[in-house]
Amino acid sequence: MRKLKIKRYIDNSNVSRFRFWIQIISFFIFVYGGYFFIEIASRLPIFSCPYVQGSPGGCYLIGVQHELNTTWESMLSFRGLGILTSLGIFLLFFIFLNKAWCGFVCPLGTLQDWITKLRKFLGFSFTRYDEMSFKRLKSIKYILLVLLILIPLGIRNSFFGIHVPHGMHTPFCQICPARIILPLFTGDTSQIFIDFTDTTTIIMTSLGMMIAALFLVGSFVKKRFFCFFCPMSALQYIFSKISLLRMTKDGDKCTRCGNCYRVCDVGIREIADDIISKNIVKDDCMLCVKCVEACPEDDCLKISFAGMPIFNASQEGFFKRYTGSSLTEYIKSIEPNKENENESK
Amino acid sequence: MKVNKDRYERMKKTGSIHYAMEIKKNLAEITDDFPDNPQSMEYFYKRFEEYTIGNLHEGKKVIASMCVHVPLELIYATGGTPVRICAGAYATDQIGAEFLPAKTCPMVKSTLGAVYLDILPGNIKPELIVNPTTCDQKKKMGEIADEIDKPFFTLEVPPTKDSEEARQYWNRVVKKFVKKLEQTTGTKLTRRRLKKAIKTVAKAQAVYRRFDQIRRSAPVIYGKDAILVTNSYFFDDIENWTIQVEKLNQELEERIKNKQTVGKANSPRILLTGSPSIFPNMKLPLLIEKLGGIVVNEEFCSTSRMIWDTVAVDEWFLYDMVPAVADRYLKPSTCPNFTPNTDRERKLLRDIKDFQVDGVIYQTFTGCQLYDMESRRIGKILEDNGTQTLYIESDYNPDDFGQLTTRLEAFLDSLKNKK
Ligand code: SF4
Ligand code: SF4
Ligand code: SF4
Repeated sequence: MRKLKIKRYIDNSNVSRFRFWIQIISFFIFVYGGYFFIEIASRLPIFSCPYVQGSPGGCYLIGVQHELNTTWESMLSFRGLGILTSLGIFLLFFIFLNKAWCGFVCPLGTLQDWITKLRKFLGFSFTRYDEMSFKRLKSIKYILLVLLILIPLGIRNSFFGIHVPHGMHTPFCQICPARIILPLFTGDTSQIFIDFTDTTTIIMTSLGMMIAALFLVGSFVKKRFFCFFCPMSALQYIFSKISLLRMTKDGDKCTRCGNCYRVCDVGIREIADDIISKNIVKDDCMLCVKCVEACPEDDCLKISFAGMPIFNASQEGFFKRYTGSSLTEYIKSIEPNKENENESK
Repeated sequence: MKVNKDRYERMKKTGSIHYAMEIKKNLAEITDDFPDNPQSMEYFYKRFEEYTIGNLHEGKKVIASMCVHVPLELIYATGGTPVRICAGAYATDQIGAEFLPAKTCPMVKSTLGAVYLDILPGNIKPELIVNPTTCDQKKKMGEIADEIDKPFFTLEVPPTKDSEEARQYWNRVVKKFVKKLEQTTGTKLTRRRLKKAIKTVAKAQAVYRRFDQIRRSAPVIYGKDAILVTNSYFFDDIENWTIQVEKLNQELEERIKNKQTVGKANSPRILLTGSPSIFPNMKLPLLIEKLGGIVVNEEFCSTSRMIWDTVAVDEWFLYDMVPAVADRYLKPSTCPNFTPNTDRERKLLRDIKDFQVDGVIYQTFTGCQLYDMESRRIGKILEDNGTQTLYIESDYNPDDFGQLTTRLEAFLDSLKNKK
């Protein structure tokens, strides 16, 4: 039963606070890193938007859209190799952090968390999707992902005689809120515009503006509003199983108390109700590990890397985080009062 | 039932005398018939000595409750002091029998009797008596209570807990309950008060979980004492309770170090489940332990089910705290009132493993349909798990003592032989 000291220390720790700082650092790197000559890679599994001047890296989605803007024939040639290599680079990054890229690194994700902080500061309540809407809306990100692959292909190739106009190159970027919002952090407002070149560009850029506005409003009322629709999240999930970073659940230990579901920013019900699956990373999960922090059953939820346990749910950790003190400290603090009270009786 | 004043006074007088005698006798059995009780248990024994004579929580607004589904945090946060009044006395059971059919659950009858005669733990005078609709008997008891003119409040517990609909329904019920509490105590629920209440209860839970952990690791305390500890959570001041359980924990850890265990090496480790043993009805645990078994865990609504589960809040504002508290009193509950109730069997299997249980004793009170009906399914699951189970139907009447002894003896012997 005795745990290693270091393990106990980690399990008792407040990962959310740690995450908060990591997010700030990451945000800084991914928005301003370029100014400091930081170069990371252009195939990152997050919205590291190249439209941001200071961006030290690139979002894999823009790569995908560019690379697929090609004909079937050339895809079978060396260009195909290029597509595979960049997928390989994407996976290489992804294998290490799994969806924790979303929880810890993605600047757009971080931005949503900050908007949530603002809402809390103002004392407004949040909303949640009810079960039905959750199920219905869930598929949008996959639809976006499929479109994001098919549309560029449709520019150079024809699907049943339909040709996609050239104005639809990198279609997702055109509607992605990151393109409009993230450059603002470097003082660049140039993305706030409507491109009047042709009808396609007018429609796409206006749509982009609308989505950006929706992003701001949406994430104010609902935590991680955009992530729920994010095609990157969909793409990541396809590969989630091969990652070294894992979150697992021991259903036998679960009381289905729902603590984990309550704190989950994206509202994943299975985290509490699924007592069968071992791998409990669902498609909307961002591995923020808030659920592990909120789980009061020893070793019920676990984060591990390549089989090594990193952070486990624990009773002791739960009570420490949620009550802000250890039991001994608490008893010391109430005991004198109580003794007086009991004596005066 | 309107009785004339004289008759009521007579009933109250004899009822109280029987009640006091019963408590004294049963407490003596718990304390005197066993050697070497932990010193820190003195505090808890004393609580029960004062059961009939004290004036508990004087000057405070007491909110009485009858079930584990009553959110304590909300009572504390609206300036009330919760006391659970589910009763275990045969004396008041007989009084309750005047109102309810003879085959009604003794716990319900006994509680009703106690409410009727105003002989509640520590002579509390509740401002409100919260009656959750968990079983039919309680529901109907609630109706009678109106007749006897007591301040009852019906807390509508849904019949299922898995569906989103049930959860929403319950959330609204809890909100209504908050309103009722605010009216009763005259104190508004505030963010600060609720946060403090959640934390105070969480500390009690933390200390209880340590106690539980100790019981898993070594048999250093008898179940009859452990049941008293959890039973006193019904009515004790929660901070005092926390301090005292911590003291007990420390003493028990010393005992583990000194290898000062109770029972013998081959004493069968028993898990109790089913209808709850509530003081002074300690018939079953006492008998088991006198016959050489050790009760290592109780899956009762008067014990672990009441304290174990925690409240987690994401945003410390009323809009998230109140639903969080509501969820805690619904989602993890293993009360047989819910259907499906698979969580109960999973909990039992988990406990059997964690507490290295040799045999399960399943207690059903005569008239308790829910536990009775669930016993077959649970029995089958335990059998598949290779756990021997003894099924016992009993009530508060001490008459079945002889018959119980024979059956328990046989069961414990067979467990010993297997060890
Ligand atoms: S799901 Fe959210 S955090 Fe993840 S890549 Fe998309 S926007 Fe970023
Ligand atoms: S917090 Fe832990 S015990 Fe509770 S439902 Fe979630 S996984 Fe299960
Ligand atoms: S399931 Fe857990 S790790 Fe995943 S997003 Fe929800 S709280 Fe975070």
